[in-house]
Amino acid sequence: MAVAVTMDLPIDAPLPLDPELGATTTAPTALAPQSVGRPNAKYSRIVPIAVVTISAFFFLLPLLTLARHSLQNVPAFLLGKDTILKKWSLEPLWRAFDDPDFMPALKLSLTLAVGTVFLTLALLVPTAVWTHLRLPKMRTFIEFITVLPYMIPAIALVAGIVIVKPHARWFLNSNFALIPFYVVLALPFTYRSIDAGLRAIDLRTLVDASRSLGAGWGTTLRKVLIPNLRTSIISASFLTAAVVIGEYTIASTLLKRTLPQFQREYTQREPQAGYALNLLALLVTTLLFVLLSVLTKKRDQSRKPYVPPADTTPHTSTGTPT
Amino acid sequence: MTAVINTEVEGGRTAGAPPSSTRRNWAWVGLVPFFAFLLLFLIIPALTVFFNALRTEDGFSLAALGEAFTGQNREAFKFSIMFSAGAAFVGVIWGTLLAYAAAVLIRPKWLRNLITSFCGVAANMGGLPLAFAFITLLGARAGVLTNILNWFGLRLYDHGFDLGNTAGLIVVYSYFNVPLMVLITLPAIDGLRQSWREACANLGGTTWTYWRRVGLPVLTPSLLGGFLLLFANSFAAYATAAVLTDNSKIVSLRIAFFLGGDVAIGEDAVGFGLVAWMIIIMAVCMTLYWVARRRAERWQSL
Repeated sequence: MAVAVTMDLPIDAPLPLDPELGATTTAPTALAPQSVGRPNAKYSRIVPIAVVTISAFFFLLPLLTLARHSLQNVPAFLLGKDTILKKWSLEPLWRAFDDPDFMPALKLSLTLAVGTVFLTLALLVPTAVWTHLRLPKMRTFIEFITVLPYMIPAIALVAGIVIVKPHARWFLNSNFALIPFYVVLALPFTYRSIDAGLRAIDLRTLVDASRSLGAGWGTTLRKVLIPNLRTSIISASFLTAAVVIGEYTIASTLLKRTLPQFQREYTQREPQAGYALNLLALLVTTLLFVLLSVLTKKRDQSRKPYVPPADTTPHTSTGTPT
Repeated sequence: MTAVINTEVEGGRTAGAPPSSTRRNWAWVGLVPFFAFLLLFLIIPALTVFFNALRTEDGFSLAALGEAFTGQNREAFKFSIMFSAGAAFVGVIWGTLLAYAAAVLIRPKWLRNLITSFCGVAANMGGLPLAFAFITLLGARAGVLTNILNWFGLRLYDHGFDLGNTAGLIVVYSYFNVPLMVLITLPAIDGLRQSWREACANLGGTTWTYWRRVGLPVLTPSLLGGFLLLFANSFAAYATAAVLTDNSKIVSLRIAFFLGGDVAIGEDAVGFGLVAWMIIIMAVCMTLYWVARRRAERWQSL
């Protein structure tokens, strides 16, 4: 699983580098020799366009050939003008679904995904809220702790698990033993997401308001914080689900029959149907991430009107008791 | 945020609430479940690896850590470090170019959004499906591109190409390394001000002077940080490599090979030595990345 920093990306950020639009500068530039810094702007677009085009091919081709290989029953060396449109069908996919081992594997992976999402949220939301409220100085430290899983990659973590195994067979023999380790693997993504959500809301005011209206911590969490953190929570859940559905290293070493484990084994047994299954897995994960990026973008936009524009009083909202 | 806390605590004190010191002393208790969880499921497994790598029948020794660097293991480290560095290098160059293109090309308005969104997806792709996708593109027999090139008389596999070799792994890993690099450098490239370019022009500099004296020095921490992250990313990847090749020239595959059986304690200190070295290398990379990122952010918060 590749690590990624998807969350804090300023998608709608201004583009200060833009050579043609960089107008909003200070007065003296009106006289500045505009062309000196960038000769022949006409040709300067060629290189970026070439880079984007080549990249587009590189990123699309493997997906297209995977789709072709899965759904078209023609060997690659016979591809040509007259065979390219022949023998396409979804049959390999149905064949994969019909395999008696498929359903249990899918069920296990989905159960693990749900379990991991719940454990992640139960662990991280209270911890993040508590840190923001009571231990703001610890924030950097906790952020550092949450990237530790990058330093101890899945293959190293599973080595540790194998060592501990003889002492904890009662626990590790269960399929659900994977859940806490998946929580750990997804931690860098999930904590960032929830942390970003907490930064965007006025946590202290919300909590103080709720508490002074007589709500306990449980009610505050349920009726005030969770609704306000909705997008963060959803995106953390999607990220977690995507990690769990694709995780192979730990599951295969511990011989758990999850979906990726089945994918690997089934592809050896039934190549074409196996490839179709991989295609589907890829599409499902991609869909999760696309939904995620749509959601996070919405959050970024909805962040702006949070401070009422008509409000002329300084919006300090520190909740200072007077 | 800290200011907020301070006023709150002071206010609380004047209102006759318990002294602030007791409250601050007990606040850490809220973090106990989180830290206990991490201790149990991350720290202890990692430490037992070191413990097992260092333990011998009569006490502790560094022998296994040394042995993990000899013979075939040494070859594995060499190969892994080489191809990871290559993959990181390609990823840094390509990713930076793509990020630059995304920042510069404004004409189709949706292009930048498309690139960043796609990178968010592809950076996480890895794993089995990616490896299988590349087999259908560049595999020895099933690969469509391989067959097309054969038709043109260019036989990749006669020239020593293989998806499991350095070149092949670099190509495949670029699929998640390049997008990751775009996500890392795009903010840094956005941080380059148009006014710097103009200032450079006003002082008589050319485009070359601008990049040489302003642009690249500002981007350097991001590029170095990106290199470290991509290196670590390639070095630790397992699932993709496991499909593409079954040779144990790659450290992560070699570790899996040692873990293959239900290994008893102390039986395979060398295997755990490999894991220990992997964690050390990853920790060094990620710490340096952390430092580089801190430096890179200096120009972005202007």
